[in-house]
Amino acid sequence: MRIMFERTGGFAGLKLKASFEADSLPPREARRLHKLLHDSRFFELPLRLESPASRPDHFLYRVTVEKENCVHSVLASEDAIPGGLRPLLDWLTAAALRLP
Amino acid sequence: MPACCIIPPYILRSIVLRGDERQRSAAWATLTDSEQIRGERRILTVLAPLAGTATGTRRRTIYDARRGYSLPGRLVRGEGDPKTRDTGVNEAYDGSGATYDFFYRVYGRKSIDNRGFRLDATVHYGVRYDNAFWNGRQMVYGDGDGRVFRRFTIALDIIGHELAHGVTQYEANLEYRGQPGALNESFSDVFGSLVKQYRRRQTVGEADWLIGEGLFMPGIRAKGLRSMSNPGSAYDDPLLGRDPQPGHMRDYVETYDDSGGVHINSGIPNRAFYLLAARLGGFAWEKAGRIWYLALCDKLSTHAKFADAMNLTVRTAGELYGRNSREQKATREAWAEVGC
Repeated sequence: MRIMFERTGGFAGLKLKASFEADSLPPREARRLHKLLHDSRFFELPLRLESPASRPDHFLYRVTVEKENCVHSVLASEDAIPGGLRPLLDWLTAAALRLP
Repeated sequence: MPACCIIPPYILRSIVLRGDERQRSAAWATLTDSEQIRGERRILTVLAPLAGTATGTRRRTIYDARRGYSLPGRLVRGEGDPKTRDTGVNEAYDGSGATYDFFYRVYGRKSIDNRGFRLDATVHYGVRYDNAFWNGRQMVYGDGDGRVFRRFTIALDIIGHELAHGVTQYEANLEYRGQPGALNESFSDVFGSLVKQYRRRQTVGEADWLIGEGLFMPGIRAKGLRSMSNPGSAYDDPLLGRDPQPGHMRDYVETYDDSGGVHINSGIPNRAFYLLAARLGGFAWEKAGRIWYLALCDKLSTHAKFADAMNLTVRTAGELYGRNSREQKATREAWAEVGC
């Protein structure tokens, strides 16, 4: 399973981008990632979760997951993120920033 | 006023969450309109007794999201309450006050909507959250990730920047995409910087013209996030890359990201403002700031591009200081120098 993560916009206007191969993650992290995807019901989320108008300094997230010949991509703006997706976005952000 | 506005906002929010696409779109439009409506002069007389407050009175309310994402969060400091032990709370409170005072004392503006809008801010939003934003109703500040960014209340110009988005929303309401979006960003940087300069009583020459100075963790090679006097020079760091802001139209960046590069191309009007302020000297908020403020309030409209901003600020300068006055010439020259 491969996950691509991108965060654009925000006050700083800096792009954060990273991709992860679940198989090459430490087993504990891989299990955590699978759980977050499952809990967020990622594959049931619509392609776009966003308000019609862009809002000042809001982040825009794109998460794409490739799994067993299946690809699902979700674009979510700050003010339209379902609560269940937040923990996954927090994990991906921390991993992309390589935070401890 | 459309009849749909009678539907209470919480019902609209529920439609946004549960309705079909057409309903969601309509509900979003209504919610957004409702927020705009507070700024419309024509219904002032209707709403003022309901939503207003004594003129010139600050009403600050600071909330704590406690690292969650629910807004506004728990109330931690209201207007007149003593300092708390939480630095972020105090910075948000003081910064909102400094921004309010700037707009009121310099331009006579009573808060975001010019009618005493309550200044709500939430701190400790999210987990190691690298952002600050204005959501149409309030300011929101993250703590930063602790590796690159520190807390977003640390710089007064960031607080001024976010509140200025509120002012823009109630005035020109510049669309947040492409050139109008870059102008929206630039007006926030201009007034964010002026709030800081006014607080420090700095002249054009004394000011640093940086946005977000102090926001970066030690070890990051950055003076700030953006430089208004020299766009593209704020940072050059292995982790962050290099500041991509242009300071001239020939380097305008076409991109799909960041709502069409609103935080990138804002460097061009930012520099135009700096060049005007530098030509006029003294305190930037007095003349250059007044020209920009009146153009934002009375002239610019939603889809304005850089050329419109140039024409309308030149016209405003003429109205304020006379045709072919030193101020109007300087405005024209400043825009010409950035290639507009």
